[in-house]
Amino acid sequence: MKLSKPYLTLTLLALALSISAVAQSEDAIDIMRQSHLAYYYAADDGVAEVAMTITDKRGKERVKEFVMLRLDEEDGGPQKYYTYFRKPSDVSRLVFMVHKTPDGNDQRWIYVPSVDLVKPISADDKNSSFVGSHFSYEDVSGRHWLEDTHTLLYDSTLNDSKVWVIESIPKEKYKGFARKLSYVSQENYLPLVEQYFDKKDKLVRQFKAEQIEEIDGVVTMTARSMENIKKGGKTIIRFSDISYNAGLDQSVFTERSLKNPPRKYIK
Amino acid sequence: MKRGLTEFSIHHPWWVIGIAVVITAFFAAQFPNIKIDTDPEHMLSPDEPVLAFEHQTKEDFSLSDFIAVGVINEQGAFNPVTLNRIYNITLEIEDIEGVVVDDIMAPSTVDDIKQGDGGGLVIEPLMGDEIETQAEADYILSRINDNAILKGKLASEDGRVVAIMIPIESKDMSYRIAAEIRAITERHSGGEEFHIAGLPMAEDSFGAEMFIQMAYSAPAALLIIFLLLLLFFRKVRIILAPMIVAMMAVIWAMGLLILTGHTVHIMSSMIPIFLIPIAVLNSIHIISEFHDHYKKYKHKDATIRKSIEALFMPMLFTSATTIAGFISLALTPIPPVQVFGIFVAFGILVAWFLSITLNPAIAMLIPDKALRDFGRTDSHEGVLGSLMNGFRRLSANYSKSIIFTSLALVIISAVGLSLIEVNDNPVKWFKKSHPIRIADDVMNHHLAGTYMNYLVFAGENDDAVKRPEVQRYMESLQSELEKDVTVGAVSGLPDIVKKVRYELFGGDSSKAVLPDNQTEIAQMLFIFEMSGGDPEDLFKFVTPGYDKANLWVQLKAGDNQAVSRVIERADRFMAEHPIPDGITANWAGLPYINITWQHEMVSGMRVSLLSSYVVVFFMMVFLFRSLRWGFIAMLPLTITIMAIYAFIGYVGKPYDMPVAILSSLTLGLSVDFAIHFIQRLRTIHKRTNNFKESFQEVFDSTGQAISRNVLVIAIGFVPMMFSTLVPYITVGSFFLAIMIVSGFVTMLLLPAIAASFRRTLLPIIEKKTSRRTDPSSNPPSKVQKHV
Repeated sequence: MKLSKPYLTLTLLALALSISAVAQSEDAIDIMRQSHLAYYYAADDGVAEVAMTITDKRGKERVKEFVMLRLDEEDGGPQKYYTYFRKPSDVSRLVFMVHKTPDGNDQRWIYVPSVDLVKPISADDKNSSFVGSHFSYEDVSGRHWLEDTHTLLYDSTLNDSKVWVIESIPKEKYKGFARKLSYVSQENYLPLVEQYFDKKDKLVRQFKAEQIEEIDGVVTMTARSMENIKKGGKTIIRFSDISYNAGLDQSVFTERSLKNPPRKYIK
Repeated sequence: MKRGLTEFSIHHPWWVIGIAVVITAFFAAQFPNIKIDTDPEHMLSPDEPVLAFEHQTKEDFSLSDFIAVGVINEQGAFNPVTLNRIYNITLEIEDIEGVVVDDIMAPSTVDDIKQGDGGGLVIEPLMGDEIETQAEADYILSRINDNAILKGKLASEDGRVVAIMIPIESKDMSYRIAAEIRAITERHSGGEEFHIAGLPMAEDSFGAEMFIQMAYSAPAALLIIFLLLLLFFRKVRIILAPMIVAMMAVIWAMGLLILTGHTVHIMSSMIPIFLIPIAVLNSIHIISEFHDHYKKYKHKDATIRKSIEALFMPMLFTSATTIAGFISLALTPIPPVQVFGIFVAFGILVAWFLSITLNPAIAMLIPDKALRDFGRTDSHEGVLGSLMNGFRRLSANYSKSIIFTSLALVIISAVGLSLIEVNDNPVKWFKKSHPIRIADDVMNHHLAGTYMNYLVFAGENDDAVKRPEVQRYMESLQSELEKDVTVGAVSGLPDIVKKVRYELFGGDSSKAVLPDNQTEIAQMLFIFEMSGGDPEDLFKFVTPGYDKANLWVQLKAGDNQAVSRVIERADRFMAEHPIPDGITANWAGLPYINITWQHEMVSGMRVSLLSSYVVVFFMMVFLFRSLRWGFIAMLPLTITIMAIYAFIGYVGKPYDMPVAILSSLTLGLSVDFAIHFIQRLRTIHKRTNNFKESFQEVFDSTGQAISRNVLVIAIGFVPMMFSTLVPYITVGSFFLAIMIVSGFVTMLLLPAIAASFRRTLLPIIEKKTSRRTDPSSNPPSKVQKHV
């Protein structure tokens, strides 16, 4: 095949561009992986009291309180969550448990105290709301970094912190967002702001790290918020009484313990 | 004053024309600022409690108005091809600007709660992706029929029809969005039929189509009127004046409406069509008069002077009575109707003023030689002349029969009036053959209904509606309402509680009942909230604080009467079964808003009609300085209104908004002929003193003018009767009916009464003339002054 000169130049140029793009996305992928680990896999396990304040678009507030236990089986790999509800009072003692696997085949159970029944449940849609808040299940348990194509757009500063601004585009068509911008701290890899855009490239939701503290030597986001820009409404999640490496074992995350909460962690 | 205005116009025609043109240009310059508003909600004044509650409800439950798309496949819509087509259509609809994407209800968007493998609870979209097998399609239908919230709503139970409910950000987008949806369905067309329905879309489409209709029916009416006038008077230059007067009156009225910041609503878009005939009426009388006398005087200015002078009082009063008819619309509590009435009244005032100034001014510019063969030589000639002779003889010779026939007509009409059914449904403003009507019929036949009402239960504090007694009350009201044939489905929180409980216990139908303690209800709802696709689905039925819950009452018909019947059934139930403590129940929804304003309008129109009737009566007594003549002048108007509305009662046409509005037009127009006729009869009689002569003359002059008016207006609006919009057909028919009935009554009953009671009605003149030495030597214009 004989190539004309301009065509050749163009091909070379395109090749050069794609190489640099690949190089750049390698950086971006690494940043997103580190960020994911720092944010979702801090220490080996964790216990925290969680207060979730959901403000609807009319400004009405609802508060949900629960205890959250987490056990990592492997950094970036399977995780287990145990959520014990305290408030609202009519759902107190209700338990929700998740065995998360990075491939997306999560297992979930619910314990319904009023009928004393344990029931496996599965909601296909990871994009659905997490217990009625503005966070989705995926926002809480994490979306694997390999599901998106990441591009490091530029360096910037956000509230005196140096950040990388990274654009993520889902590899497969995804309802949750069409494009995401993450502002990842260059100090501790935590995402300080995340902006979710729909397919019309309108800003739909915005995540913010509201408070970051060091607990047991772990840089921890103790308050975070998610605002629904499009429809209005906002949820703030605050963590307190956090302890890391509390020695949680697998027996806590079994169907049996749904009916009998581990009193050691849940008073 | 009458002299002054006309004299000025005769002496300074260019000034008058110049000023009129400048003012017209000024008002025409306002047209680019036109703001069109077709929102039927604006039929109610903004501080109306029903509206406030409607907005609150929409806000509380994030409710939107819906466009409903029906997909029909007679062989069954639940097959892979049709369902995949619906799947892809839904995807494309999501891209339309103004569609509330998250709340679309379609097989691919709604969640299904069901039993998963291993006894788990699964919540997933009913149709997560395109499907391949017939078994999958059958399964989807079975899931819909197993879910009280979806059954009959998302698909007909037999599976032939699928509905896509498309919420929209605001009602005034629905016409555009419906058009975009239609474009999408056409691109995907296969063996299915697609229908687009829904009250907001019907109302918005009506607004849009109404403006389109207006754009050609007003000019069409003008053109036909022009041609008819040309036929009568044969001089383009002469009949140009009435056309110009009519157009200017329309431009001034619409210009002022826009200038004063009013939006052009469905009602006000009708202003031109109402103004044109009214504006033309006066001019026809003037031209007729001019035509009758031109041969006699041969001078334009003298003829004009004489014509205007003879017609000044009747024209003033016909205009004043019509104004009274329309201005009384300001008494209705419906803002667009008020605006309509006021600006039509203003237009009539303009038309009156221009017809006594601009008409003469334009006539002055016509060179005398152009009028050489204009005017009438013999009053008995021609079709109209012989027609008038017929009327004259009939009314003189059969006066008693005419009076008794009229009396019988009044009695028959009174019975007809009692048969009037007040009913309205904006969807029925379209002809039966219109796609919107067809869609409405088809979808409401197969599915739970396209008319959405909401019954809102509100408690005083959070969690109030989780109480078991509240849930049970809602449940029993649901089943009570579902007994009504109009009600297609009632859905609410109890359905969700029962559905979650049913699936939680492994599909055990004995568990599909409401629990009797609040904690369990709360936990069932919590499961739905935390595991359902979107908590927003739940919050369509309950507020996040659980202080308010609503029942979605889906109706298969939007008629006033049907909606009212459902509301009465709910009222009756609530009267017999006291609602739980601290809970109130109120209605919201577009059909409910419609019955509210239609209710207000019917009573408002009654007040408006009665008050203008009384005002017109006093005007007549004042004009004729006689109680007797006042009564007689009211007869054509009374009989016309009674006859027309009785006809509506007998044929069973519902008394709806357009019909209600037209009563003021009927009142305003049907008194006009009587005014001209009586005024002229009395004037002539004073001069002639001879009943027979007076009769002859009044039929030849005013009689012919009236018959010209009848023909011009009645025929001018015939094109409207071919409209696809029922109110247009109604308006066109009304013009025809008003003209014919009031024309006949005026020219048969009035002369019959005058003939039968001539001693009492016209006696003074005999005495007066006996005192006079030579009455016949008096020039007619002098006599006029005594009136």
